[in-house]
Amino acid sequence: MSTNNVEQEIISIISDVSGFDEEEIKPDTNFFQDLEIDSIKAIEITVAIEKKFKIQVRDKDVPNITTLKQAVELVNTLLTQKATA
Amino acid sequence: MVLFIVIPACRESFFKKSDMDDAIIIGAGIGGLVCGCYLAKAGMKVLIAEQHYKPGGYCTSFKRNGFIFDAAAHSFGGYREDGIVRKVFEDLEIDKRVEITRFDPSDIIITPDYKVSFWTDLDETINDFQTAFPEESNNVKNFFNFLINPDTMFLARMRSWTFKNLIDKYFRNYKLKAILSFPIFGNGALPPSKISAFIGAKIFTEFLIDGGYYPVGGMQTLSNALAESFKEYGGELQLSSPVKKIKVINKEAKGVFIKNGEFIASKYVISSCDARQTFINLLGKKMVDQDFLNKLNHMIPSLSMFVLYLGMDKNFNPKQNIGSNIWYLPHYSIEKMYLAAANRNINNLSEYMVRISSDKKSILAFINTSCRNKIYWINNKNKLIESFITKLTQIIPDISKNIIFKDAATPYTLYRYTLNYRGAAYGWASTPSQLADPDFRKPSFIQGLYLTGHWSTQGLGIPGVTYLGYNTANLLIKKEKTKK
Repeated sequence: MSTNNVEQEIISIISDVSGFDEEEIKPDTNFFQDLEIDSIKAIEITVAIEKKFKIQVRDKDVPNITTLKQAVELVNTLLTQKATA
Repeated sequence: MVLFIVIPACRESFFKKSDMDDAIIIGAGIGGLVCGCYLAKAGMKVLIAEQHYKPGGYCTSFKRNGFIFDAAAHSFGGYREDGIVRKVFEDLEIDKRVEITRFDPSDIIITPDYKVSFWTDLDETINDFQTAFPEESNNVKNFFNFLINPDTMFLARMRSWTFKNLIDKYFRNYKLKAILSFPIFGNGALPPSKISAFIGAKIFTEFLIDGGYYPVGGMQTLSNALAESFKEYGGELQLSSPVKKIKVINKEAKGVFIKNGEFIASKYVISSCDARQTFINLLGKKMVDQDFLNKLNHMIPSLSMFVLYLGMDKNFNPKQNIGSNIWYLPHYSIEKMYLAAANRNINNLSEYMVRISSDKKSILAFINTSCRNKIYWINNKNKLIESFITKLTQIIPDISKNIIFKDAATPYTLYRYTLNYRGAAYGWASTPSQLADPDFRKPSFIQGLYLTGHWSTQGLGIPGVTYLGYNTANLLIKKEKTKK
């Protein structure tokens, strides 16, 4: 999956969970300050990402997913690890 | 009696009306009612269809022999200044329709060795625990500090933790751990080794530290007030109106068929009822993604409850706190308690919760239990009522002398009135692996369908479903505004 596709899929997930329009979700938009994401929504986003990309996000990485950019980087890293495993 | 003047709310008018409903909500439990109120208040055309003849789901009351009993929910939390229930009740003007009182302490835990309480003053609660367990004094302080100052990211990071992981991080004393786990077991029907730490922490912050609130007149008054607000905002509430099918065309929900075969078209369908009903009966297996269906078949529901209702005579004058939830913990293995509850029989009754009404006229007590089946409860309901009353004499010694009415709700009763699968008290079991599954909020394989309430894997109890109803409505309102 290309980086652009990864980004688009994650935007779609964040939009579904937060209710914010996809166009409002920019790479550096902060989930908590700008998109009203709370702890349970953060978990829901993580679970949705795991399901969508068939990857496992470690609990310690969850706090690092606070922007779209970070989420895309993490997913790409995990997809690469999965491909080379 | 306090009378309130309710000023008709102004409806925002950014939604254009048409013959088609904007949203149909299946189920008038608290989650469905809250969701409906916000959508209707935003100007959407909303119908709530409820199969029961009264609104509220588990938040209902009923009258027998002149006594008023709360059916299941018997107090609520999350009503502090910045609490979710306070926010919603203020937004929806419920606080103008219902007088809310608070009992202090909200919860009392009694064991063979200890009595500790959850007071409205948190310092007093902490002091109670520190006095009982002086060697854990600092840990008690740290634990409650963590709960009242939650770090959003740390809570999210705890997603795969069990409550056992959390309390093991703070405490050493096994009796203290059991005491702290007992109301989690009572309010979530899972032992510390199985319940999600996230949900356990929420039970503490929303049910215990900020619990004990009660609507004057009984829990039904809350549901009735929400129903009234909903109607005042222009919503339509149809009671005794079970939804028979959700219509789907090209993988998009288009409306519902109700009891007489009438079709009601709508842009969104929001299911605030049992999840298996939603997917298997209302959508139909053919409409459900096969992978999801496999998952659904492996999902574990929470345990059910056996709720005892006692009507008391005028001479009943208990020494126990009225209005408080009194939890009796006979031993310190919550894990064994759970196994007994999951295989409940009338001879293995040990722990329970009991609440004496503020007018001392009635008592509600409950235990968690497996569902069993209808025949089992027909044969054993009365026996369990009697053995339960005998157990209650442990803390209310003369109770038998003053009982003039007794009845109980079995899991089958709960199922009959709410259609919750196997009479489940709290939706899906709140294990870490069943937490926050997005397919139980907005199934990816059907557009226009949303789930809310305690089957959507994100919360339970009145604070949990209030949050979910509010959140689901906000999702749709944002979505609609974006389209304008």
